[in-house]
Amino acid sequence: MTFLPVLPALTTARLTLRGPEPRDYPALRAFYASDRSNFVGGPKSPEGAWRQLATEIGHWALRGYGRWIVTERETGHTVGMVGLWNPEGWPEPEVAWDLFEGFEGKGYATEAAHAARDHAYGALGWPTAISLVNRANTASARVAERLGAVYEGEVTHETYGSIGVYRHPAPEACR
Amino acid sequence: MTRSAIPVLETERLVLKGPAPEDYPNFEATFTSYRARFMGGPLSEYESWMLYAAEIGHWQIHGFGMWMIHDRETDATLGMAGGWYPKGWPEREIAWVIWPRVEGRGIALEAVHAARGWCYDRLGWTTAVTYVDPKNASSVRLCERLGATLDEDARTVDSHDIVYRHPAPAALAATPLAARIAAELADHIDPSCKPKGVPLD
Repeated sequence: MTFLPVLPALTTARLTLRGPEPRDYPALRAFYASDRSNFVGGPKSPEGAWRQLATEIGHWALRGYGRWIVTERETGHTVGMVGLWNPEGWPEPEVAWDLFEGFEGKGYATEAAHAARDHAYGALGWPTAISLVNRANTASARVAERLGAVYEGEVTHETYGSIGVYRHPAPEACR
Repeated sequence: MTRSAIPVLETERLVLKGPAPEDYPNFEATFTSYRARFMGGPLSEYESWMLYAAEIGHWQIHGFGMWMIHDRETDATLGMAGGWYPKGWPEREIAWVIWPRVEGRGIALEAVHAARGWCYDRLGWTTAVTYVDPKNASSVRLCERLGATLDEDARTVDSHDIVYRHPAPAALAATPLAARIAAELADHIDPSCKPKGVPLD
């Protein structure tokens, strides 16, 4: 049974971005059990990963946008979760990316985040966007820089502590 | 986004609908308050919003979940009730939360009775439990008014809770229990002590 409208899908040269679905639970469970999730609220128990998946789906219903599950077009492998994130109390609407084990170093986060940002600036009409990056997460900082985002300081979040804010170029500069 | 396709349940005084974005402030007010002490709270605003989103995702994952309880006349939200089965729960639960100051009108009984009936009739559940903190006297009492009984052999969620097992579907159809629930609801809907007009003398 489906209760939510079909979520918009995006396609890039190598990737497909589609809405999160119940079948994505094993991928999230594995990601949140790994050290790769340390900068993004992990590690989480299987129960915590399930709640996160439910929250990801609900984010779409509450905001009209959210994070997509990113798959390789060629193989169908799930490579990460990338998209637009803005829960209550978030500093500003964010372009966010998590890459799963084994798919780093291919430029996938940059490629998917670029498509997500285009959707935010285009279909959703966002006037600006940030990305939040933990100071120690150098790989993620490089993705932000490749996207042309510029570090503008730190904010404090009750769950994530002090976290760096990268400001993306304005919509006009991304056209 | 268009509205979700979560089914709508109607009772005498209530309409149960899927959780909507505009209903969130009422949820947050309860879950960030002392009222949420038996439900893992009080939560921060961020945690509360993440939970509310998860309540919606739960519907998509399982095909059932928690409804928002609305007053039929005013459309005001009064609380939530429905089926709840996140990862880690031993069994499917019939769960509820009633906003502060809504208590004492049989709202939870009416909503949970309807939600339980839907889970039994539409989903074919043959049993259901409710996990409750034993200190949560009003929820323990509601379990009993719903005909649920303490199941000491059932697995708990976290050992701080106790398990009430709901009567099987057959025990709810045309039985003394069903009549008792109907009578209690009828009394809330039309209290016999309510003045019915201006006395003539």
